[in-house]
Amino acid sequence: MIPLALTFIIDLLALLGIFIIISLSLNIEFGYAGIPNFGKLLAVAGGAFFIGAVPGRFLAYIYGLLGKYDYIDDNAKIMYALGKVLGADPFISMTMLVISLILAAAAGAILGFIASYPAIRLREDYLAITLLAMAEILRMIGYNYRDLIGGTVGISVPDPFRWIGGELRLALAASVIMAVAIIIFIYVELLSRSPIGRTLRAMRDNEVVAEAYGKDIVKLRMKTLMIGSAIGAIGGALYAFLSGSVTALGYDRVVYTFWPWVMVVIGGAANNFGVLLGATLFVTLRKLIIFYKSNLQPYLPFDVVWLEYLLLGTALLIVLIYRPEGIIPEKPTHTLGKKRLEKIKELVEAKEV
Amino acid sequence: MMPPMFRDAAVFSCLLALLSIGLTLTYMTTKVPNFAHGSFAAMTTYITLILVKILKVNPYFSVGLGFILGGVIALILYQVILKPLLDRGASYIVLMIATIGYDMILYSLINILADYLNRTYKISTRLYILKSYDFRVFHQPCIFIVAPAMAILVITSLHLLLTKTRFGIAMRAAIENPALAGVVGINVNLTYAVSWFIAGGLAGAAGALLPLWLMCNPDIGARLIVSIFAASIVGGLTNIYGGFLGGILIGMAEVLGTGYLSLTIGTWIAPYRPIIPLAIMAITLLFAPRGLTGISLRFLRRFKR
Repeated sequence: MIPLALTFIIDLLALLGIFIIISLSLNIEFGYAGIPNFGKLLAVAGGAFFIGAVPGRFLAYIYGLLGKYDYIDDNAKIMYALGKVLGADPFISMTMLVISLILAAAAGAILGFIASYPAIRLREDYLAITLLAMAEILRMIGYNYRDLIGGTVGISVPDPFRWIGGELRLALAASVIMAVAIIIFIYVELLSRSPIGRTLRAMRDNEVVAEAYGKDIVKLRMKTLMIGSAIGAIGGALYAFLSGSVTALGYDRVVYTFWPWVMVVIGGAANNFGVLLGATLFVTLRKLIIFYKSNLQPYLPFDVVWLEYLLLGTALLIVLIYRPEGIIPEKPTHTLGKKRLEKIKELVEAKEV
Repeated sequence: MMPPMFRDAAVFSCLLALLSIGLTLTYMTTKVPNFAHGSFAAMTTYITLILVKILKVNPYFSVGLGFILGGVIALILYQVILKPLLDRGASYIVLMIATIGYDMILYSLINILADYLNRTYKISTRLYILKSYDFRVFHQPCIFIVAPAMAILVITSLHLLLTKTRFGIAMRAAIENPALAGVVGINVNLTYAVSWFIAGGLAGAAGALLPLWLMCNPDIGARLIVSIFAASIVGGLTNIYGGFLGGILIGMAEVLGTGYLSLTIGTWIAPYRPIIPLAIMAITLLFAPRGLTGISLRFLRRFKR
């Protein structure tokens, strides 16, 4: 038996992990490389749609279910059959999870490439407009093209966490999500300290100078967007597995583009700990608002959710105007350790003498 | 007898032209794409709703009110949010984020208004259309005459303002070179603020006419913004005539393209309508990133040589 408070925290952690992943991916793009990706939704929805469309179909094909049933029309029957298989076998479940996540990341990278291609050589505002428009289009296709993820009704996703059974499912899902989030955090942190991280900052701070030093700006931007979109897609894919279904309507611009922006800007762009703080503050606050929503609702002549958007938009603007660097500002680039520097100094001096 | 598809195309492209003229105008002044532009129009669709359903008056009164409200909303964005950021030397990426934040505020205000109207006056405020409240002139819906007339009136008066009046010339100077314009005594901030007011006003006026022809919902701004950006980019984002031309072109292509495709291929294609402006935008960005007006200038130069 898991007490209510603990369920609340586990639920919070699962959601937090997903938003940490998404906002870290935005931090690579916006914080380090200075690319205003207003189409974060594209990558997240891409990952989620991939999970809705592919792993279930593949498993159904392997177990010979596609001959008997139509994947969209008889989705519930197929999921019931697959649920039995996956529920009995942790190995298949986890293999499916890992492979799906890798493929979803690949799909996200491809989407990021295609979506940014028309505007990748232009000024960043054109890129931002294009990415935003592409994200809207992907959502619209998911909504209207029924064969992909069931259109308006949505589709169920094979559940890789089912084998642990009952109440522990959420705990397992949360720990998997947190593990992925930690791996991605370490990756992004290493990336930011590596030569490419410094190159990205150079590009962000002064494109002309970076170009003069022989950096290919277009290629760098393209790579950054592909990596960012791949990570964003992992976030979307994990959310699809967590919620157990994918509906095109559930992926909107507010949640998957605007919220990550708020987290990154308020927490502190180009600082992964700032982003971590931003995501934690934001997700906790939101959870609390939802928790106390019923207490607040009778006093308002409208839905509480709009008040929340209003507060978030205002908070973002206030931070932009009064503290544009965020709560935890960007730190100077990490250099080599003092000992190594002294060693190099000795070597240089020895040669000079 | 004209097929209704052309009427659709005429109304939509004229309203889109009004919206993209405004977006182009603001882009020219502050060099930032205003992501809240669609919400300016979404806000004023509710003025029309209030006038028609609650006050029960002529829906065309909302054009003037919409112009003022849209202008004021845009002016607040410029004066309260963008101006302090610009003064501090913020990059245009920060300005873009600010417009997105403002868009979010407007979006929530629109939804609050919609919920409030719905609960207080028991009228439907989501997915509503007011086509039946329009008048008929010469056996045509009135908006079929009003929208093109307004588009032509607006582009003509903007042309006169920018070329024939002292203030308009000052505006152009401030857009061309703010520092130099400041030196010769032009109040750059005032000209920018007026540009933003006009831009927001045009969006508001277009938004006020929208419910007479299209199904409206609080998120109509997000639906329109792709078309508005496509139209402005096709126009080149450098002069208002380009914005006008782009709006007409994208509007026509969107409505007629979807119409003909659904006649020939099948009606399943109709929901994919937003792909048309996006595709045109992508092609423009790839082959003529300066837009239509950029192309024509380049061609002219080639002929001169």
